[in-house]
Order: sequence, then C-alpha cells, then structure tokens
Amino acid sequence: MKFYKDHYDVIIVGGGLSGLSSALMLADKGKDVLVLERHNLPGGLATSFVRGGVEIEATLHEMMSIGDPGKRLKVGQFFDDMGVNIDWLEVPEAYHASLPGLEVTLHPGYERFAKEVDAAVPGSYQKVYDLLMLCDRVCNSMNELGIHPMSKPAMLLKHTDFVKTAGYSAQEVIDTFDLPQKAIDLMSPYWIYVGAPLSTLPFTIYAFLMADYIGSGSKVPKKLSHEMSMKMFARAEEMGVQIELKQPVEKILVKDGKAYGVRTKRGDEIHGDYVICSAYPNKVYTSMIEPAGEVPAGAIKAVNGRKIGVTAFTVFLLLDKTAEELGIKDYNVFKGDTMDTDAIFENYKTLGPYNYITTICLNLANPTCTPEGTCILSITALPRVDGWLKVGADEVDKVKHDIARSMVEEMSKYYGVNLLDHALEVIIETPMTVAHYTGMWNGCVYGYMHDMKDHVVARLQTADAEHFIKHLEFGSAHQLTGNGMGPQVTNGRKAAKYVLDSMAEEAK
Amino acid sequence: MKVKGFLKDVGGASRITKARLEAFANASPVPVQTDPIGDVAREWHPGKIELVVTDIRPASKTSKTLRFERPDGKKLPPFYAGQYIVLDFPIGESLISRPYSISSAPFEARLEEKPFVEITVRRSKGDGFICDHINDNVKVGDTFMGSMGHGQFYYEPLRDAKNVVALAGGVGITPFASMAKEVAHGTLDMDLTILFGSVSSDDIALKEELEALKSDRLKIVHVLSGDEPDWQGERGFLSAELIQKYSAPDTTYFICGPQVMYRFLHEELKKMGTPKRRIRFEVFGQAKDITVYEGFPKELSDQTFNLTVVRGIHEDVIPAKATESIVVALERAGIRIETGCRSGECGFCRSKLISGNTFICPENDGRRAADKDFGYIHACAAYPLSDCKVKIPIE
Repeated sequence: MKFYKDHYDVIIVGGGLSGLSSALMLADKGKDVLVLERHNLPGGLATSFVRGGVEIEATLHEMMSIGDPGKRLKVGQFFDDMGVNIDWLEVPEAYHASLPGLEVTLHPGYERFAKEVDAAVPGSYQKVYDLLMLCDRVCNSMNELGIHPMSKPAMLLKHTDFVKTAGYSAQEVIDTFDLPQKAIDLMSPYWIYVGAPLSTLPFTIYAFLMADYIGSGSKVPKKLSHEMSMKMFARAEEMGVQIELKQPVEKILVKDGKAYGVRTKRGDEIHGDYVICSAYPNKVYTSMIEPAGEVPAGAIKAVNGRKIGVTAFTVFLLLDKTAEELGIKDYNVFKGDTMDTDAIFENYKTLGPYNYITTICLNLANPTCTPEGTCILSITALPRVDGWLKVGADEVDKVKHDIARSMVEEMSKYYGVNLLDHALEVIIETPMTVAHYTGMWNGCVYGYMHDMKDHVVARLQTADAEHFIKHLEFGSAHQLTGNGMGPQVTNGRKAAKYVLDSMAEEAK
Repeated sequence: MKVKGFLKDVGGASRITKARLEAFANASPVPVQTDPIGDVAREWHPGKIELVVTDIRPASKTSKTLRFERPDGKKLPPFYAGQYIVLDFPIGESLISRPYSISSAPFEARLEEKPFVEITVRRSKGDGFICDHINDNVKVGDTFMGSMGHGQFYYEPLRDAKNVVALAGGVGITPFASMAKEVAHGTLDMDLTILFGSVSSDDIALKEELEALKSDRLKIVHVLSGDEPDWQGERGFLSAELIQKYSAPDTTYFICGPQVMYRFLHEELKKMGTPKRRIRFEVFGQAKDITVYEGFPKELSDQTFNLTVVRGIHEDVIPAKATESIVVALERAGIRIETGCRSGECGFCRSKLISGNTFICPENDGRRAADKDFGYIHACAAYPLSDCKVKIPIE
C-alpha cells in the first residue's frame, strides 16, 4: 500500500504554526508539499483540549502582530494574503500589573498607556511616551528590514535608532530614560512573553514586544487557537498540501551533506528536495540525522553554544460561576512578589512556589468560550528546565500539585475568593505535558533564549552560515525570531523563503 | 538617540554578532542527547507496549481478573487510579481495540519486583464478543499490545472533596477497585465509600479482594437489587436516600456502571442538590443501540453504505452499516485505526469527513468547535447516513 508520492518538493516535519505557515507559502508558489505531524491534531502548541465537555484553550494568551482589517500587522496580513480568515476577538486590555505597591490596569495605545502609567507614577508621562515611541521606531525598522534588507550605512541613516540600540540589553536602553523604578516596573511585565530577564534581553526584542502589543493591542480567535490551526491546515489542504497526522518523523536522510528525505516512525521512507524541520536542532543533530556521520562538528557547537529557553507550567480552572460573579475584572493579571526580572529568573530555576505568575480569564475577551454560568482561568509560570530536570516519573505528580496549589492560593488571595470552591475542572500542564504532546526538547516552549550573546540581529547576520546541512531548514521557536505564536508564522515564512530562494538559485 | 556614545552605539550590531560567534566557538563539540523531561513524558506515555498475561483468576462467578506484566519485567507506566488501558486484539484479519478500566492500583504498576497491571472483565450477555473472547480464550503466556493511562475518571485533589462516594454498578467496580487499593496503600489521600450495586450476592466482582482492604478510610457497602430473603445488607437501587446516608456534607461522587444507572443517578443526585462540580461520570462507551437516539433516522437502520477510506494518497472502499460506527466498519474491513475510549471523548480516532453525512451520537460528542466546522468526526461516535468519504490517520 502506498500512502505517499514518490517525491515531494518539500517535506515539512511538524504541523505547528511554523510548519503550516511554511506549507501555505510554498503551496502558494506552486510547490508540492508534504507535512508530517506527530500528534493527531495540527497546530503544535496552538491547540485546545476538551474536559468535562468543555473545550479549553491550551496555550494562547494574546496573539500579536494581527492588527485590524485595513491596518493589518505582518501576521494578520499574511493570513489575509493566504486566504486564512480567522474570527478574531479583541483583547480588552494590555494587562493588569499586581506588584508590591502597584495595582494598575493598562491598555493598548501609546498615549493611553502612558497616561495610565502616569496616573500611578505621577510625572512619568513624557518619558514613558518617549520610550514607547523609541520602541515603535525600532519595531518598524525591524519589520521593514525583515522584508527589505539594506547595507549597513543605509541602515544607519534610515534606521538610526534600530542600529544604535541593537548592541544593548533592554535594561541598558531603559536606564537612559531615567524613569522612576515604579514606572519601569509597570513597563516590564511582558518580559515573561520571551522569558529572558531585562538585563540580558536584547532591547530590540523588548521594543518589538512593547510596540506590537501596546501599539496595536492583541487578539484571540473566537474558537480558540485550534481555530487558527485548523483554518491554516484546511487552507493548506485546499491549496494541495498533503498533511498526515500521527506521523512522527524519526530520521532525516542526508547524503553528501544534503538532505533528501525522511523516515517516519512507521517506517515510511519519503523523499523530497528539501526538508523543513520544527524539531529542536539539539534533537535533530544528536539523534535524527541519518547517517549520524553527516552531522558537522560546527552544528553541535552551534547547538551547545545557545541557551535553551523556558518551559511552561499552567493550572487551568474551569469555574462554576461567571467572571463577574467571582469578581474577576481583568483579562490578564501579571502578579509578582517583585518585578526584578533577574530575581524572577532565578526563582524560575526552582520548583516553586513561583514568585511571578500570569493569569488569563479568557471569557473577558471571548465571553462564550465556556458554557453559560462558568468561566475559565489559566494561571501560568514559565520556569526554566533546571529544577524540572531532576523530577522523575514517580515524583512529577506531587511536584505539580504542590506548585499548582500555591499558584491557585495566590490567585484566590488576589481575587478574594477560594477558587477551588468553584472548580468544575482542574487541569495541570507541566513541562512533561508539553514534551508529551509536542515532542519539544525538554518540554521547552520558547526555543533558544533571546540573549545578548544570541541576539536576533546577530542571528540574522549569521543565518546563512548556519545551514550546516544543505537543503535542511528549520522552523519553530528555536529559529530566528524566537518564541510566541506570531513569531512562529514569521519563522515558518522565513524557512519557506530560504527554500524558495535556494530553489531559484539552483535553477540558474 | 544616544545610549552610551555614538561609536559604541553604532558598533553594537558588530559586537553582538561577534559575541554570538564567540559563544559558538567556545562551546563544547560533544553532542548532548539528554532530554530528561522528554524521558519522563515517555515513561508516562510510551505509546503501545507489549504486555504478557502472567495470571488469570476468577473475580466472581462471571468475571475474571487478568494480570499483565512487561516481558522484560520493567515497570509499567504510571497512571491514576480510575484510568483505563486500551488492549489490541487481533481477530481474524482485523485488529480490534477495547478500553478497560484498570482494576489494579497505580503503586502495583511501579513495584520494584514484578510490577503489573490488571483488568477485570465480565462475561457479557451477548454483544461484548471481546469480553467473551477474554473469558474463553485468553491464557497465561499470551501477549498483547496495549497503551495505558487514559481517561479523565480519577481523583483530582485540587478539585474533588476529601470524602468520595463511589457509585458502582456491576463490573463498573473496576476503577474503584484501583482507587481502593491505592487508598489502602496510603498513596491516595481520600476517604472512600464504595456503594456497590449488584444483582445477586453470589456474583459480586472482586468481593473478597475489596473486603480485605476495608479500613477507617475505606468503606464498602454492598447494595443488592435482586430478591434474596437472607441478605442482611442494603437493598434496592442506589437511591438518593441511600446515597445521602453514606455521604459527608461535602462529598464528590464518582459514578461508573451501565448506562441506565447513569441516567438514574443523574436524577437522584439532582434531587439531593449536589453541585455539578461534585459529580464525576466515567464515559459510557459505545452506544449499545444508536437507533434509539433522538435524531437518528430510523428508516436508514437497515442500510449499508459505501465508505471510501483515504489514507495518504491511498483509497479503499468498504461497506459501512448505518447502525455501526465508522470505527467498527473499519475494524470489520481490517483497516487499522487507533481507538481509546470508544466514547467520542479522547479523540484518538479523530478523522476528517470529506463527503457524506454521519450521525454523531449526542452523548458522545467530544469534538472541538473548529473541528465541527471543518467536518471532523470522532469515528467511534459517528454513524454513516449516506455513502461517505473519510480521511483517517495512517497507522
């Protein structure tokens, strides 16, 4: 029985947002594409699960880079271009920061945000606004340079602020604004969306986060992130892409330094001109390349020279009252004992209790996402793998319950209601859960850390030299633009562009 | 804009590129394969594993307990008391899988010496031919492929009350046997009372095993529905009155038994004013008779349709009866499809309906909203109402 064609132009390993974005873009250019996904659902982490008859969002907090019709941002524009029509709902606020001495709700829109910070920290308006404007310029430059690369002197003239801030951490650039610490604290919560402390986080990334989220606000799909995944999936199929679920790929076949196919766990050997792979390079270069001798030493050093990003820990609570009845007013609460991101980062190396957590009440953006009279809360910390590496199969259940209990107690105190008295369902997602469903290396959801030694601008400059095996390209969070759902679309497009460029080059 | 001075600022991009290349140059050339978090995930969920039958013993007049170990003697995957195992049965050309609640305790799967897992299966009255197959044909030394640790029917300490009343009917005792053993072992922290409804006192599954576990934290109350003059214990059905008698003010109810019992208990617990969050149901399993459901077009009951099955670029056409789920049609035709709960809940058999109409069992519709929009079905709970074309995962 033959399930696959003899040959594909491109084989994509992993049907998450990155893989599906690559597939859409390649199919749009008429390429014959096969996507192999290990799970029985597309989307990777952009997914949902059903408990007690209720579908629950698994991961998405806020989708960035969408924008509104007529003023789309890059991801929203890509979806429009590809004919992927997602039913977006507006997230009503940026976030509520609950920090020592601060209880402040902030909204998107640079002026409004700056005014709200100013109300909590009088006299800070202008500096906050100026910092946001700098973020806006840097973000615009980055988006533009992503499409139209230019020479260094031209860049310096046209994208001065981008160039001048590229060499600095977020902390270093923010410090030049001489803001009161409380104002800085109110502008720091999003660090968790990249999981790197401000002292090592490139300002470029900080600027991108602030400009994208504060400048334009964020969205969620009406039928949860599974809607996004399914719409991309269905559109790709419509465009002729073959997608097979439940097909883990075990080997990437390489000959004379060039990838030519894959072998699935089932044993199907499938050939293609190019392979785009979403598995971590750590896993690919240490166990997936066949024969192993085809892995160049440089590839191992490049993998070992990078820092693995954070993983995720979430408690989901389906509650038997509405958000209003429970006094839950904010879509997104960032709650910290401190806003010192270095201190939080250290705390995240442990098994808790975690001193900085983020809580989403999806009903406040998506009122009908749970049955009438109920609401859903997800409480998340993004620990580093360090503490979790020592947790064995027989310990994980106790560890996860201890951490979950502390997080629920923290939020119960915050809301002034014992959340567990209302729990219809309690679901705990650990790094192991992530590893189980997605196969991601050590359950890491954020790829490699954004870091001054692994800077997005540096990644861009050296990307070409990091194709250690010809015709093998990578997608997913461990690639250029890093973690997050919006960036996965960008990473997938970048992988597809590389393949298309390489095809054009070789056709010459 | 000035951060630290013009030259230093404009040199930033070169500096960070150099830093990155230096980090690579200084990195170890030794491949690091370790993925401990993935290892733990694989220990819990290794997929299908080989299991060998090492013991078969009667659990009552009409049921047997089968013990399985791994051929290499390794520990079985961790699981929660109340979860089920899915076993594959090669029958003729077909490979049929069935879920069984695990009747042994989680700690027994993790013993250092001879770890095992057990199921208890009752000979059925007609339709469960696999149950009969197990009772009649399976012997010590037989091997099976199975995957375990499935389902949502287990005690969650953050959600459930400390006091648990288990409402069991017939062979529905099995998940509670697992919970009881774990409570007795001191590794499941709850107070458990099992109200165990049986028809006759001489056919109570796992009776002696459970009696031996009784303690302050574990009560077992037998309730007989049959007419036996000598019976000293509780009688009748698991009524609101009876349940109330054994309940603490805050109690979580776990229910497992035949489908009629669910409907009955649903009403009884409602009478008692039990909040929804205190009631946990195990899934029903496959509908015994799909034609009784509202909305099923009875006039199609005798119909057999052509089902086109797409796997990759391959297609087969097989017959499919309106009254049998698409999973059953596939199994009859010898086409492999992985199933878990067979109740529409777990989604293992998630497939795409490319064309045609199906009836979805309303009590077993565990699909995601976007899946419904794109014609996805859980094939174990979908019944063909016309010629259909479905795409299923390649197994």
